[in-house]
Amino acid sequence: MFELFKNLGKWLTSGAQWAGSDGIAHRLTEHLQYSLIATLVAAAIGLPLGLLIGHTGRGAFLAINLASFGRALPTVGLVVLVFLASGLSMWPVYIALVALAVPSIVTNTYAGMTAVDPDIKDAARGQGMRGHQVLFQVELPLALPLIMTGLRLALIQVVATATIAAYVSFGGLGRYVFDGLAQRDLVQVLGGAVLVAVVAIVLDLGLATLQRFLFRHRTA
Amino acid sequence: MTIDWSWIGDHTDDLTSLTVSHLQAALSAVFFGLLISLPLAVVAHRVRPLRGFLLGLSNVLFTIPSIAIFVLLLPISGLTRTTTVIGLTVYTLVVLLRNTVEGLDSVPTKTKEAAKAMGTRPLRTLLTVELPLALPVIMAGVRIATVMSISLVSVATYIGDGGLGQLFTDGFQRDFPTPVIVGVVLTLLLAVVADALLVGLQYVLTPWKRRRA
Amino acid sequence: MNRRTLLGALAGTAVAVPVLSACSSGVTSLDGGGSAGGGNASSKNGVTIGTANFTENQVLGYLYAAALEAAGVKTKVRPNLGTREIVFPALKSGDIDLLPEYQGALLTYLEPKSKVSEEGAMQNALTLALPAGLQVLPYGTAEDSDTFAVTRETARKYGLTSLADLKKQNGRLTIGAAAEVKTRQVGVVGLKDVYGVEFKEFKSLDSDGPLVKGALKKGDVDVANLFTTDTDIKANDWVVLTDPLNLIPSQHIVPLIADRVADPTVRKALARLGNLLTTAQLTELNRQVDKDKKDPEDVANAYAKQHGLTK
Repeated sequence: MFELFKNLGKWLTSGAQWAGSDGIAHRLTEHLQYSLIATLVAAAIGLPLGLLIGHTGRGAFLAINLASFGRALPTVGLVVLVFLASGLSMWPVYIALVALAVPSIVTNTYAGMTAVDPDIKDAARGQGMRGHQVLFQVELPLALPLIMTGLRLALIQVVATATIAAYVSFGGLGRYVFDGLAQRDLVQVLGGAVLVAVVAIVLDLGLATLQRFLFRHRTA
Repeated sequence: MTIDWSWIGDHTDDLTSLTVSHLQAALSAVFFGLLISLPLAVVAHRVRPLRGFLLGLSNVLFTIPSIAIFVLLLPISGLTRTTTVIGLTVYTLVVLLRNTVEGLDSVPTKTKEAAKAMGTRPLRTLLTVELPLALPVIMAGVRIATVMSISLVSVATYIGDGGLGQLFTDGFQRDFPTPVIVGVVLTLLLAVVADALLVGLQYVLTPWKRRRA
Repeated sequence: MNRRTLLGALAGTAVAVPVLSACSSGVTSLDGGGSAGGGNASSKNGVTIGTANFTENQVLGYLYAAALEAAGVKTKVRPNLGTREIVFPALKSGDIDLLPEYQGALLTYLEPKSKVSEEGAMQNALTLALPAGLQVLPYGTAEDSDTFAVTRETARKYGLTSLADLKKQNGRLTIGAAAEVKTRQVGVVGLKDVYGVEFKEFKSLDSDGPLVKGALKKGDVDVANLFTTDTDIKANDWVVLTDPLNLIPSQHIVPLIADRVADPTVRKALARLGNLLTTAQLTELNRQVDKDKKDPEDVANAYAKQHGLTK
């Protein structure tokens, strides 16, 4: 075990390991690209959906059940299925990652919206606010903490799961995990895993900071 | 992409055994996850300084790709079911630990004090007052952990296990969609049925909740 | 002769036999080859057969199972466990007992610098290279080699007919193969050592599966690592590069087995199968699994029945 971590240190700090098309720098960029694009697309789908359901109160049952259904979707199966349908392309990766991220975003956005005190909404309407004004000026700011929780959860899941891109021949940090498995090179596997975890944690902290900034902005 | 229905008919035995093996892996993980999280959650609930550490640790574990955990376990537990179950258990901890701590937090202080005033011992209070009252939140965690594990088992196909996940690698290698579709559908069905059963279990375990309704 | 010398003599035979059998073993030996197996080896509790992550290895695993079952041995097949790098340690640690292997590939895994290429000599080298507790049984008739193939178009464009020709295009071509081929002698390492070939890029794909074949078809890779028993090579008119310097060793299929289960029943059953199965038949069985989407298990059982291994 000690040996493994000593070698991990060497692996992570060697200049050669960082350079080139199979280098850490390149794989890190690819991984970030997959994760961010997938999360953004998922947010573009999940946020409006969650807001709409939360605001209108319609379709909640269906959406929440679909979301928990989505959580049960096996990513490996989805990747393979889309691969068999579309051939060698990035589609399997992106579709699987988006499908993974949407449920967390929808359920948390919806939960955030329902947590808003109905009296406050009534008061806002009483003051003559229109539907979309209530949504954007009252409900959304109040639901923001839970919405951000959903986004952060989705991002962490996507970063950890983007590893799967390597299974269908693409890059990202998963390359080290899958290649390390094939070559039984545990240092490489551990290196890939540690880098994925670091990326997830750094991005999560970034979103947490953003969240704090947004709050200060609102209360100021 | 067409489904070869006759393949499904010819493979009912295989599909059954894969489904059973899949469910067994997922449920074992949730079981061991609970076994580990319950005491840890009690510690985290009572010893404030440890709380952040334990929850933080489980969160960090969650960021590690599951396949990497399986591979890194190979020198320890080899190509066995144990590897699969340990790997999955690690993932259930995030949800189970957090929900159990939150469940214990949600028990009103007054209730605990009343128990104390009546001379109930701490362990008894924990078992007969705190845990039952925390049960709804804990069960919510168990439900999420179960569904998550059922979906994750298939990753273990990369180390030769993985229950229904074996249908994915098989279909992939042979350019054969039928097993993959069947695998995905069965996984979803398993998750739905398991979740429904847990809802039923919770109903049975929390009779006081029913009276109110 | 007192008891001690008798025991000594017995032990001596037990040690001497594997070497002898290794020399004489081969296609024609039907006796299953003798070895230390006599002592504690027993297949009474069944044999667990592991297989690597590609079609043919699974077909072979189920063929072994069919042959053993016919001899009254209980078997369990664990399909698709992973690469040799993963499965071999599992054999050592006891998770599995038996593995369909390939002479040359196994030897270069154990001894990357080995220069042996003749079947019999390779069998000896394997016996010497294997760790205690593991042995190879007599090799079978069927062969399946690694090959490096290019499309007809690429062959024409760069004037490629042999592996040696690749050197002229150093730094220009991309090779696609399973990840483990990057670090294997029969792979990127050997191509550089033996032929001086250097690629522009290595793409981690799969073992003669949809990724590597798809990438070759699409032109994502120029050179692909495939297996000779794959009917797709012919079907797509791909060009297999010749190997004038014998980088790729002879690849007869050989059972790699743990001593603990290698009793005479197991040896004979596997030798019988090895003697029977030809390369052409194996190629056809692979095709049935890959193209007709039949189960490796069914294909193997049908073969065993058709050829009188089982009734």
